[in-house]
Amino acid sequence: MKRIYLFPILALLALTAFSQERLIILNEGNWQSNNARISYFEDGRIVSNKWFEQANGYGIGDTPNDIIQVGADLIAIAVNWSNIIQYIRTDGTAVAATEDIPNNRKMATDGDFLYITSYGHECSTVSGLWECTRGYVAKVDLKTFKVIKCCEVGYEPEGIAYYDGCLFVANTGGYAFQEDHEYETTVSIIDAETMTKIRDVDTGVINLYGKMSQTGQYLCINSPGDYYDTPACSMIFDCRAALDGSDECFMILDDIPATYNCATTDGKFFAIGSSFSYYTYEYRFNTALIDPKTLFETDGADGLDDCLPGTVSADIKSKLSSPYGIYVNPYSGYIYATDANGDFNSPGKLHQWTPEGTYVGSYKIYINPAHFLALGDWKPAGVGRIGMQRETECFNLQGMKVPQDWQGIIIRNGKKYINIKHQ
Amino acid sequence: MNRILAFILPILVCASVPVCHASSQDSISRALDEVTITAIHSERRLVTGQTIQGSDLQALSSTSIADALKYFAGVQIKDYGGLGGLKTINVRSLGAQHTGVFIDGVRLTNAQNGTVDLGKYSLSTLESISLYNANRLNACQSASEYASGATVYMQTRRPENDSLTVQVKGASFHTYTGKFNIQKACNKWQGFVDAEYTDSKGDYPFRYKSRYEDTIGVRANSDIEYLRVEGAMFSGDFQSHIYYYTSERGCPGGVVRRLSDKYDNVGREWDRDFFVQGTWDHAFSSMHRLKATAKHTREYLRYCTDYPENQNTARVDNHYRQNDSYVALSYCLSPASWLSLNTGADARWSDLTSDLKFFDRVSRFDGKAVIAGLAEWRGVSAAASYLCQYYKDDTKISVGAADPLFKATPSVSLSYTVHGFTVRAWYKQIFRAPTLNDLYYTQAGNRNLKPEFTRQWNLGLEYHAAPGRWVLSAQADAYRNDITDRIVCLPMKGTYTWSMLNYGKTLCHGLNGSTTMQYRSGKWMAGVTASCTIQDDRNRTGSADDDSWNMIICYSPKFSSGVTAMGAWRFLTLSVSELHVSERMWSYADPEDILKPYDNIDMKLSADFPHWGVCFEVNDLLDVQYELIQRYPMPGRNFKLSLTLKL
Repeated sequence: MKRIYLFPILALLALTAFSQERLIILNEGNWQSNNARISYFEDGRIVSNKWFEQANGYGIGDTPNDIIQVGADLIAIAVNWSNIIQYIRTDGTAVAATEDIPNNRKMATDGDFLYITSYGHECSTVSGLWECTRGYVAKVDLKTFKVIKCCEVGYEPEGIAYYDGCLFVANTGGYAFQEDHEYETTVSIIDAETMTKIRDVDTGVINLYGKMSQTGQYLCINSPGDYYDTPACSMIFDCRAALDGSDECFMILDDIPATYNCATTDGKFFAIGSSFSYYTYEYRFNTALIDPKTLFETDGADGLDDCLPGTVSADIKSKLSSPYGIYVNPYSGYIYATDANGDFNSPGKLHQWTPEGTYVGSYKIYINPAHFLALGDWKPAGVGRIGMQRETECFNLQGMKVPQDWQGIIIRNGKKYINIKHQ
Repeated sequence: MNRILAFILPILVCASVPVCHASSQDSISRALDEVTITAIHSERRLVTGQTIQGSDLQALSSTSIADALKYFAGVQIKDYGGLGGLKTINVRSLGAQHTGVFIDGVRLTNAQNGTVDLGKYSLSTLESISLYNANRLNACQSASEYASGATVYMQTRRPENDSLTVQVKGASFHTYTGKFNIQKACNKWQGFVDAEYTDSKGDYPFRYKSRYEDTIGVRANSDIEYLRVEGAMFSGDFQSHIYYYTSERGCPGGVVRRLSDKYDNVGREWDRDFFVQGTWDHAFSSMHRLKATAKHTREYLRYCTDYPENQNTARVDNHYRQNDSYVALSYCLSPASWLSLNTGADARWSDLTSDLKFFDRVSRFDGKAVIAGLAEWRGVSAAASYLCQYYKDDTKISVGAADPLFKATPSVSLSYTVHGFTVRAWYKQIFRAPTLNDLYYTQAGNRNLKPEFTRQWNLGLEYHAAPGRWVLSAQADAYRNDITDRIVCLPMKGTYTWSMLNYGKTLCHGLNGSTTMQYRSGKWMAGVTASCTIQDDRNRTGSADDDSWNMIICYSPKFSSGVTAMGAWRFLTLSVSELHVSERMWSYADPEDILKPYDNIDMKLSADFPHWGVCFEVNDLLDVQYELIQRYPMPGRNFKLSLTLKL
């Protein structure tokens, strides 16, 4: 009897959750082909695979690397090979574009400023051309879209996150196989206000390359190794512990690369990884569900599962030929993964699962769909200066503002609560 | 008499000496009067071949070999645009690395990437340029000549008189050329030295106009400066060729969205190529013929991206050096007038060194042996060959050398000729071995690669006639080919790592047709050559459920055609060429991802006098904006004017 009642309720729940789905997917296109595109997905259908072109009458450029929301109606896109930071509104219309930060990579924000990593060696700032030997992080004032300061970090810095007034930057040294330097092993910590480096945390792991996700104080950082002698792995980095000066602020997950990863709505990480070696020419493929808090509390004994919710892991292995990204909608918990579809010249696909991991369906998008952004009631994704919250405000574990009756774990007035809907 | 001679000559005389060439009675004749003999030995109709020679070659609006080859049926030129842009030839969709390019019968090779940049060779020293699908079928051929899916022969002109020629040329986009040629012909030996220097800014304008774009720009970093010096010497059965080419060029990237010209992704390339080759081809009697060839090649390439404008890529300054030594021996036995047997063996030693990181010297031994037979009896011709190839690499690179490769491949041809009509059928299997880049390039190479394997089937018709002052010829061939284990560079599943893979199959069906008509009378000469290709080249990778299954291969046109008309009166020659290429897809992701069809009209008017000449050319007369590679625009309308002095 219970089942009969449960089904329509679940269906209704699914439907209401579904109607909230608004997702922007960044298709990288092919390098030097100027064919990057933005797909817009809403309520179970692809509204457009030419969203940016239709809104603006021109293309976005060549090989975008990252997309983040930086204001209630402002989104930043790092268009790497075009050397452009493109700002758009949430309806897709362009606001501004600058080429001050060549070879831009990944971005983070505190709501007022945008922080961008760059493999380049120069940057146009308000006080003139700034140059460095290795890579750098640029700080952009979102009121003027101008770079106000830069901070040199390691060679080829990739992932960046904002936590408690500081920036955490994963250095790769990824050009080591071509240039005259070695792979980097450090995470640089920068004071975001002054843009001065606080310290480099040497993780001993080379080439911290790939998507870096953040949930609260924890970061999920990938290392593909050097593709020859050093195997791929990943690490969970504790920003709080690092700021407190602890040397044990990271935990390495050997043999569990997290090539593509994302944060979940309940403070965990999903990862799709693969390790590859030019010696054997074989790759190993894995999925992982990482609970960073448990991982640190149990000293690595617990908090790691090789299975994503429901059928997600199995579907990724069977339905996707070339996984190219994974994402959880922070507002709804719906799970997404993209497939670059074999030859990287065919239309990519977007696959969707419910928060419980039940497969919903797939949608045809464009070449190399890699980066996601869900639209909703936006708050800066990073964790800002930690202080008192207003009593009425509730946040999820990612620091996003949520309604009072939001299901799952919420933070109100600095305390965690579990909201369970009574039926 | 001439007719009989032309029948016997191809068997007796060196394959690489121009044989289908009768000296005209008119002793003061120049290029225009070099009459082409029409009686073609049926052996040559056994293969699908196309040739442009003598005056036709000089009348084409052409600056490089690529410009002449694009008028052949079944040919697709891949061109990154501008004088310095890499130009390669793709025949019947087999891919550039399946086309062997031969100069005077000896193959041009590049162990590193297996492709020949046609932009490095000049038409001015050539007597003829020919394209054979599968391979040529002359009596005494080296094993290498059987080892590619299609073959291009560039035949150097053997001087017939003494002369000194100087030419200056100015062209659009700040292009200036100076040429110098001295040739000598004695009874015992003939030879020439030919030199050319070109400097071009290559700053051509381009425009992209579509629903979502209107970009006007001028190509940057597309300059080239080169010097080519070559010489050849002929003496009876012996001929030799020496070649040197040095260049500096910009390597512009694809035209992408930029807000200004501030960052330019500057890459620059320096090349130094040198080769020396010699061939001795001797018929001991009507039964025995021996050919020996030796060649040594050195190539140097430097690629540098270490410039402040280039912020997007790693800053590299890499040097690559290749050495290649080659010897070949072939022997032909003709036990009866209707039968000839050919056997040959080749050996090639190549090595590649580079200061690329994690790279070390790689050397390769490549041995080939062939047995082939050619029989002809009352209009029926048959040929068969069996080729064995062996590749073995040696390297200290940490991944180790690939396993040795040994593979044998056959080919058979059959034809029947009656009253000028020939019906032919042939089949050929051949592969291309992975290049040293494919196998060992740092962070891309894959030592486990299998060779890329092709099979070709062909059924054709050919007709020749020479009524009165007319010369007519026509041929049409239907073909089918498939490629398996295509060697491509793709990112590995779930990683960011790009690597070489055996991935994909293609199946191609096509029809090539070409026809030539010529009329000569006294002071007049007129000719039309037309060719067309209808092709259906399909992706057969993966399974029928895949989105891209059975889609037309990217960049493969369904239809292309070329028409060249030439008229000559006394000292004036006018030629007009029209090339049409239908639309091509460049991705499978969107039906709008296509390159538009284009038409190119070229015109060339020249006046030749005993001691001087002047020539004016217009290329892309209608200023059509087109691309052969997506986002690599080709130059639009451009002009050339040259002045030649001759002693």
